[in-house]
Amino acid sequence: MTLRFGTWLDERLGWRRVWEAIFLRKVPKVNWLYTLGSAALFLAVNQIVTGILLTVYYVPTPDHAWNSVQYITTQVPAGWLIRGLHHWGASAMVVVTVLHLLRVVFYGAYKYPREVTWLTGVGLLLVVLGFGFTGYLLPWDQKAFWATTVGTRIAGVTPVIGDAVLRILRGGEELSAVTLVRFFGAHVWMLPVALVLLLLVHLYLVIRIGISAHPRRED
Amino acid sequence: MADAESNPDSLSSQVPRRGFMALTVLAAGGLIAAIYTIPGVAYLLGPALLSQKEETWLPLGAASKVPLGSPTLFKATVKRTTGWIVNEEQIAAFVLTEDGREFIAMSNICTHLGCRVRWIAERQQFLSPCHNGVFDKYGNVVSGPPPRPLDRYPVKEENGQLFILGG
Repeated sequence: MTLRFGTWLDERLGWRRVWEAIFLRKVPKVNWLYTLGSAALFLAVNQIVTGILLTVYYVPTPDHAWNSVQYITTQVPAGWLIRGLHHWGASAMVVVTVLHLLRVVFYGAYKYPREVTWLTGVGLLLVVLGFGFTGYLLPWDQKAFWATTVGTRIAGVTPVIGDAVLRILRGGEELSAVTLVRFFGAHVWMLPVALVLLLLVHLYLVIRIGISAHPRRED
Repeated sequence: MADAESNPDSLSSQVPRRGFMALTVLAAGGLIAAIYTIPGVAYLLGPALLSQKEETWLPLGAASKVPLGSPTLFKATVKRTTGWIVNEEQIAAFVLTEDGREFIAMSNICTHLGCRVRWIAERQQFLSPCHNGVFDKYGNVVSGPPPRPLDRYPVKEENGQLFILGG
């Protein structure tokens, strides 16, 4: 029955070819370090799912942000779990993405014909760091406030354009409601769009070109 | 496949290696999906299911202030917690007494679609302005779309003070 339905659907969608291209492609004999990319992908899905759930209750204004986060953590069923997964998933995301990058560097996997995969990967790392930087402010507690004060001040010491960068990041001279809501907008709209676009190109290339084999002694 | 499920001991002999891998991946994937789905659904539905209104006796004012035979609007203040926001809200009730001893308290919310009803003294009727619902002095439906009489609050008198049970 399910087989017949699968065939019915395949005649119309051609999904079996897509399935085979993604899951039944040939891979060289590699080690566990080659799973770091998949681990990062899993964490990205975790961040997307838990992040969407958090926006159901979170309010990005100075008078409600902290209270709504407390509400999620202490009142909503499983809210502590959803927030916890997003919180720890964020740190894991940065760690795993960096480890994935190191694996690619040390095995020389960024070389021809995978330069574009590498470039989109570097873009993805920057997006992940952007997520970390903007997400850190959103709970609007003392740690968030002062970390962002310091973080934006660091951007401010850039020669020549530093002052402009600082003002653009903060949306003004001081850290304020404007800062909070623009960090929120970046965190839930701009960065996710960038993440998904880069990720699609990255994954398409991984499937199209295949992953590089473990380098041999004579390479 | 059906054989393997009915007799797990023979898994190794009857399920090929590839089938076993597929089964394992499917089971692990299903487990992970459940770990996300079950708390996710609880998280989304929780506030809708858990928010139980707490009812308390709310003071309306002195019982002697209620005129005989004429429904009079009294207001009580309630503390309502919605999410993380605590608000003081006013609820209103028409109090009616014929003899100064027995009191009834009616909600001023029309039972049709929730508009607030007004007491029209010359007609001795409550009128809901939205769809012309009309109730008599005791809250019974006279005409219009309301499906049932005005809701009543339990009411009590203590030391000359009137209280209604609400929240």
